[in-house]
Amino acid sequence: MIKLNRRTLLKTGAASLAASSVLGTPLIAQSRSLKIGSYGGYFENSFKEFVYPAFTEATGITVESVTQPNSTDWLVTMQQATAAGSVPADLSLYARDTLIKASRIGGLLKPLNLKAIPAASNLDPYFVFEAPEGPLGVGAMSWFTAMVINPGEVDAPASWAEFWDSTIYESSLGLSRNYNSQFLDIVAATFFDGEATFATDEGILAIIEKAAEIKPNVALWWSAESQMEQSMKNGDVIGGQYYLDVANLMALDGFPIKPIFPKEGNPQDYGSWCLSSLSDKADEAAEFINFSSDPATQAIMSRKIGTAPLVDQSKTDLTDEEFAFVSGTPSIKPAYEAYLDKETFIKESWDKMLAGA
Amino acid sequence: MTVAEHIETGPETARAAKPLSAVRLLSWALTAVIVTLCVVPFLLVFVISFGRKIEGAAWVWDFTLANYQRFFVGALWPDDVTFLYLQQLGFSFWYAVIASLLAVLTALPFTLLLSRLSRRAQAAWLVFILSSLSLSEVFIVMGWDILLSNNSGLPALFKSTGLTQWLKDTGWFQVLRDWGLASPRNVKFKTSQFATILTMSYLVWPYAVILLYPALSRLDRSQSEAARTMGAGGWCVARTVILPAIRLPLFGTTLLLFVFLLGTYVAVTVFAAPAQHSTAVAIYSNIRGANLNAPFGAAQAVILLMSAGVCLALGHRINTWAEAR
Repeated sequence: MIKLNRRTLLKTGAASLAASSVLGTPLIAQSRSLKIGSYGGYFENSFKEFVYPAFTEATGITVESVTQPNSTDWLVTMQQATAAGSVPADLSLYARDTLIKASRIGGLLKPLNLKAIPAASNLDPYFVFEAPEGPLGVGAMSWFTAMVINPGEVDAPASWAEFWDSTIYESSLGLSRNYNSQFLDIVAATFFDGEATFATDEGILAIIEKAAEIKPNVALWWSAESQMEQSMKNGDVIGGQYYLDVANLMALDGFPIKPIFPKEGNPQDYGSWCLSSLSDKADEAAEFINFSSDPATQAIMSRKIGTAPLVDQSKTDLTDEEFAFVSGTPSIKPAYEAYLDKETFIKESWDKMLAGA
Repeated sequence: MTVAEHIETGPETARAAKPLSAVRLLSWALTAVIVTLCVVPFLLVFVISFGRKIEGAAWVWDFTLANYQRFFVGALWPDDVTFLYLQQLGFSFWYAVIASLLAVLTALPFTLLLSRLSRRAQAAWLVFILSSLSLSEVFIVMGWDILLSNNSGLPALFKSTGLTQWLKDTGWFQVLRDWGLASPRNVKFKTSQFATILTMSYLVWPYAVILLYPALSRLDRSQSEAARTMGAGGWCVARTVILPAIRLPLFGTTLLLFVFLLGTYVAVTVFAAPAQHSTAVAIYSNIRGANLNAPFGAAQAVILLMSAGVCLALGHRINTWAEAR
């Protein structure tokens, strides 16, 4: 008796489940969603507060925000997740070098349908990354690594070369410790022919040799952003390289830091939206990238997050003052390909230089 | 075989049939836990250390000894030779040796005095020291970072008390600059080996006290008193009576702290200049996403572990040799 009941129950249950799934289809289509990764902290919070709600309002697609620690470590996470068959995010935010790395590893990213992203035409073609299998990333926003100084201690230098002057800067600078965090690009732009010098091993060694000459002036080789932040606040260093957006925010809070665009400029890097190869949300992702490439959204990001827009200032409603706050000229383009093709060579030569070995 | 049968029949029946086999089942379960949590990860690191890095991408499984070769002569061998990684291993040992010796040497007189206090006072001190162990390395490094900072720490004190000016007037400031302990404006204690070793020994100091305490509190005080009545001075008593009696725990403590400190990461990465970085820092910079060279990181980890093993074995050998004499 009980058995019979249970069986009937199962039967009707299955039938009603099937019915509801048929009836429910349009309902599900209406509540579309997308999981988007961005760098945790202030950055992600600004996205959640200002960008995603505007997108949901415009398209009806809800966004689930996913926290990325940064670009490079997230690639490791996504690589393992892809191998395991289930990924935590549809769209990820990758810096250009990580994007190239992901495309070389292969099987991690799904080509984007640019026809569904007409607004991408607002961007310089450089910001749409084309791989043999198709476009793998569309630029999201851009950020500068700027020269910073403590305006209470020193006058603004006109050139990066002044940092090599030990009479002013002995044991006083904070530079990034990682070989690929763009200090080499600064040296190349200041003393050599920029990116072209990275073409040969001799060129790279000459750049590293020049970088070695600044060692007596460096008090801190920072590996985490917060180390540099603390050291600038504490007066342990009076200048160095740091992110333009964070430096501006610190200056607004009254800390003694001033970002500067010297005559050689500052290195400019940018993040791209990339679709996971396992994602089935290609349409939603295209809509989001289209929204993000819109000049109005680019302006929101510049105002609220402090990143530089990837579209021309004239296309946005940013004032000159607002634009100068997040961007500047000239910009130094990092030698991405060299960092990847000669990865071990550059890393070991750089580490050797730092260690004096 | 019997164990397999017990697993099939389930723990309840096993316990009912024979109380002892439940214990055995537990020990097998524990072994399984240890194997999955300790042995498998270690084997994984060992296997990965033979992998191959692909330039500009990630790494693949392989069997190559290139990572071990790179550790000793660098990646560009035979065109170029570098002892960078050996130098880093050297710094790992240098910091661990000096910091553990410093911790034990300063903890020894403290613990000796502690063991002569009243029981109440002893308990209070021990609770205080034990509770300080709850602070993680990150907190301790952060604390010392603030204490040594220019605007909020020791350099600020130097400046406000006029000590900096005095150093400048007497010419000692130039000496400090030559040692890398001053910028043109003020003294600076980071980054320096001084700050690194100070923080590392501070980190393990509570362990030193807790490890030395049992031995020192069991010391037979009548022996020291007997030596005293025979006319031996305080130093003589310490050297000929107390030290020989606690030689073993003293040696064991130093060795334990040394091995513990070999893997220090946060203190070295914050307080040491890149020229004085250790293997632990190098391992992390290799495996993290910016480089994705887990095989070389794993090879460095295996070598660090083997070096620690050799040190422990040597320590044991020296100890048994000293015992035999």
